[in-house]
Amino acid sequence: MTARSDMDERLLEEAMAWHVALESDDADWDGYTLWLEADPRHREAFDVVALTDRLVGEHRDDLRLLTAAPPPQVRRGGRRQMLFGGVAAALALAIGIPALMPKGDTVYATGAGETRRIALGNGAAIDLAPASRLVVKEGDENDLELAGGEAYFDVRHDPARALTIHAQGYAVSDIGTRFAMNLAGPALLVSVAEGHVAVGSAGNSPANLAAGQKLVARGDEGTMRISRIAANDVGSWRQGRLVYDDAPLSVVAADIARYSGKAVVLDPAIRARRFSGVLSVGDGSKLLADLAAVMALRYDVQGDRIRVSAGASR
Amino acid sequence: MAPDDAHGLETLYRTYRADLLRFLTARTGDAGDAEDILQELWIRARQPGGAPIANGRAYLYRMAQNLVVDRLREQHRRMRRDRRWSDERTDFAANTDEAVDVGADAEAAILHREETALIASAIGNLPEGARRAFQMHKIDGLSHAEVAERLGISKSGVEKHMAVAMKYLRRALLDWGGG
Repeated sequence: MTARSDMDERLLEEAMAWHVALESDDADWDGYTLWLEADPRHREAFDVVALTDRLVGEHRDDLRLLTAAPPPQVRRGGRRQMLFGGVAAALALAIGIPALMPKGDTVYATGAGETRRIALGNGAAIDLAPASRLVVKEGDENDLELAGGEAYFDVRHDPARALTIHAQGYAVSDIGTRFAMNLAGPALLVSVAEGHVAVGSAGNSPANLAAGQKLVARGDEGTMRISRIAANDVGSWRQGRLVYDDAPLSVVAADIARYSGKAVVLDPAIRARRFSGVLSVGDGSKLLADLAAVMALRYDVQGDRIRVSAGASR
Repeated sequence: MAPDDAHGLETLYRTYRADLLRFLTARTGDAGDAEDILQELWIRARQPGGAPIANGRAYLYRMAQNLVVDRLREQHRRMRRDRRWSDERTDFAANTDEAVDVGADAEAAILHREETALIASAIGNLPEGARRAFQMHKIDGLSHAEVAERLGISKSGVEKHMAVAMKYLRRALLDWGGG
């Protein structure tokens, strides 16, 4: 379609003007039809505008995350920065786009391979893992949202208030404890190192988790599964280790994507496989090689994406 | 929906059928597609709560427009899915349809994430002015006037930035090389 690549900006401007005008209740649909009939390129220009609008609309929340810049006063902690530093960040190229959130929300975001410690005024200390995002809603430090990635919470006990963290339709509440949350694809993982937390969702009575317990909630399936976890392994990424116990490969892949900054695509044939073991984060670049060696997987790096499939039979 | 409403809707549809068909033909560039979409529009409009009678004409046009974009979106999704696996088809020949179905949710989630990354990098690669205008308008939801004010440029300057952004994004996101 070489003709298409010559689409000029004037046509796109016209198409965008119509796109805006058609939102009005008394839009001139007849005039619009005439415009379309006048030149077949008008239809193509409108397709570009409408489809781009749809695509961006479907991904708007995620795009806010990826295009959100860390605030200029962001402190790059020395040791932590060394731990994950130097990771090529495919997604980081988008960083630098100013974050303009609805008024009052404060957004903390990290890029691939970057971590950040956040101290809130209410006594909660939060470690944000790479490619993650935490929102303080409308200035209320007791009402947080984990909008992407993973975070470790260390919350001082205060009988006067309860902290709630929303994530993917679930609400995690606690009064004083240490725990970790990880959003991995359709799954939310909550693991507790100390104290208790309650994990609720609309229409369900909350599940109570104690220290040494881990919950995997799948919003798409409406399931919650509780298993055991060693307290030491909760938020172990902070010590540069990723610990898995019978974890779906999709969860492992989501973590590796955050640390390596590359999209990790699993062959459908291996998605049901599970992994138990420990991966050392290092600079993020060896994670997949280590996983592949242990699980006899094959992977091909193609620019910003890595395809993972079952081990080569050849 | 009350029977009166259904009757009113039918009248509405009869009245505007020819107009809608003309519009859809111009919009899709294909008389057959236009008929298909009109059929689908009619089925949807008849569902309870499908269409209000007040200002029904504009409503039917808007519905028709949305159905066209739904089709574009589906075409785009299919194109991406095909392209994604085509170069490794031999490796995955052992996959049955059943196996793919089992992972359909997971695949959708991964496709969604990949698409997010693709769009984010396409936006990141826009020329500076176009990128800022696009980000403010399309992602942060500011109006053209608000974007103009923040960037200290005229409204038509914003429109020009947006046109440049569309031109780049079209190449990065939408070039499926087919009709």
